[in-house]
Amino acid sequence: MMRAWIDTLFAFSTTLRNVGRRRVTEPLPWKRLRAHPERYRAGFALTDDEHGEVACIACKACENVCPSGIIRVEGERRESPVTGKKRAYPVSFVLDMNACIFCELCVQVCPSDAIRMRTAWTIPGTSREDQVLTLERLRANAREGHLSWATPGRLRAMQDPERKNGEGGEP
Amino acid sequence: MVDAHPSHEPVAPALVEVSGLSLPAAITHLPRPDPYLNVEDYEPEADAMALNMGPQHPSTHGVLRLKLFLDGEICFKAVPYVGYLHRGVEKLLENRTAIQSVPYVDKNDYVSPLTGELALVMAYEALLDVEPPPRAQVLRTILMELQRIASHHLWLGTFCLDMGGALGGGSSVFLYNFRERELILDLLEALTGQRMHYNALMVGGNRHDVPPGWEEKVLATMDRVEDRLAEYEAMTVDNHIFRSRTVGVGVLDPLLALEAGAGGANLRASGVDHDLRRDAPYAAYGQVDVRIPVETAGDCYARFLVRIAEMREAIRIVRLLVSGIPEGPIGALKPPRHVNAVKLPPGEVYVGIESPRGELGTYLISDGSPIPVRVKIRPPSLHAVSLLPYLCVGATVSDIVVILGSLDPILGEVDR
Ligand code: SF4
Ligand code: SF4
Repeated sequence: MMRAWIDTLFAFSTTLRNVGRRRVTEPLPWKRLRAHPERYRAGFALTDDEHGEVACIACKACENVCPSGIIRVEGERRESPVTGKKRAYPVSFVLDMNACIFCELCVQVCPSDAIRMRTAWTIPGTSREDQVLTLERLRANAREGHLSWATPGRLRAMQDPERKNGEGGEP
Repeated sequence: MVDAHPSHEPVAPALVEVSGLSLPAAITHLPRPDPYLNVEDYEPEADAMALNMGPQHPSTHGVLRLKLFLDGEICFKAVPYVGYLHRGVEKLLENRTAIQSVPYVDKNDYVSPLTGELALVMAYEALLDVEPPPRAQVLRTILMELQRIASHHLWLGTFCLDMGGALGGGSSVFLYNFRERELILDLLEALTGQRMHYNALMVGGNRHDVPPGWEEKVLATMDRVEDRLAEYEAMTVDNHIFRSRTVGVGVLDPLLALEAGAGGANLRASGVDHDLRRDAPYAAYGQVDVRIPVETAGDCYARFLVRIAEMREAIRIVRLLVSGIPEGPIGALKPPRHVNAVKLPPGEVYVGIESPRGELGTYLISDGSPIPVRVKIRPPSLHAVSLLPYLCVGATVSDIVVILGSLDPILGEVDR
């Protein structure tokens, strides 16, 4: 019986030692102790190309690869008002974050560096529709920033079997 | 007197030979209860009662329902009911291509998702006859061992929580273990971008290379984890209350463990020296000499000792490998650009790896179309749960909580 008390007190000495340690829980929403790393995968954004037009060419690669089947892209071909060349544009782009598993496969396959993930979450909403990202919302997300390091091109450069060491591996 | 329990003395235990295996004599050929006992035929000494433990019970580690038939406080029959977390993962994988299926297996064993990914990816690689480059192999090994430490941290925390508040007050050990587990999740987050469902591997290699400065962070974290592990050991290993709750409780006959297909620490705590990392090396395990801790008492305390030793061993392997990651690419195949990028040849493969819970296997049949015809996952936790009808009989309800915790089943993996 005495042993049990001594051991219990000894275990409590570790507890006491931990009282003095730096706290690790985040006192949200008042303060953040640590930022997400650059590769963090949370929200989504559709970026613009160098001409200021949406970079997406509505190729549906992301729609086909998405394991949850939550991306719908409709596109049309038209002349670019900037460059005068004909290319495909998305008419509607819907990404339903309600069922997203944040696997990053849509980013993995995109041929035109259009879709990227963000390190910031979408503001919590009060309805399911608030988590459905449309073309406008995705482009607004891109303008707002907080984009993850991984672009489709960077990811594939990092995974390239022919790559020289170090190349593409650096965020 | 629990402290005088003979099987934890440092003397070598007596062994018996059973079909070529040397097993500890004291726990081999134990009498087995009948799991199909007819409750009507049982003559209780005290009041008989049927008690449902779970599915929504914090100590069932997920959604397991245990139906216990009690004679007073002693259980005379236990029936586990599984399937509350069934999501049809195998069927989902039979409708997904090789690229799409990796994120799904993350959700099987959600405490150790990377091992699930590796088991699936290695099955595809065996089917395609692809060998990942050395850098990917070493990175995978580091990831698996980091995951093992994180998984055992969660197990140790919940195990001590099951034990009640004697260890440093309330849920102290639980919270401390989660704190250290977070450090490892931070490392994995910096590498892959997620804390739990990584999608870090792909057929032929890894999806992510290490970010700058990651190796130093790993070494610093290993120092911290090792330092804190010594604290938990000081709180538990010699603790009188901890020992009286675990020593001699839930003794697992090695023959029963082998028959039920149990693996990992559950098997090694019963004196069976078996670990796929050493016996059938995969990834870069062939390059390191993995030391396998084995205990011979077969009780909850022995399983605890094996897992603690495994954590130390994992820290050692990570330290060994992280300072010498070979240069080169991390993938053997071209990075996938569309959903059918991996073409499967017809054939069948089985690949088994050592997850923190035992042998995790993937059986894959392909007829040459982009999606496999059949995917079967062999979850080690299912085999651990199948031991419960034997181990629970004769134990009190409070001991059953400890026995269940010591087997470390993850119900997401049991139900798939
Ligand atoms: S991250 Fe989400 S949207 Fe992108 S492929 Fe995965 S599930 Fe689909
Ligand atoms: S986001 Fe990329 S992958 Fe998806 S449709 Fe647009 S260009 Fe294609």
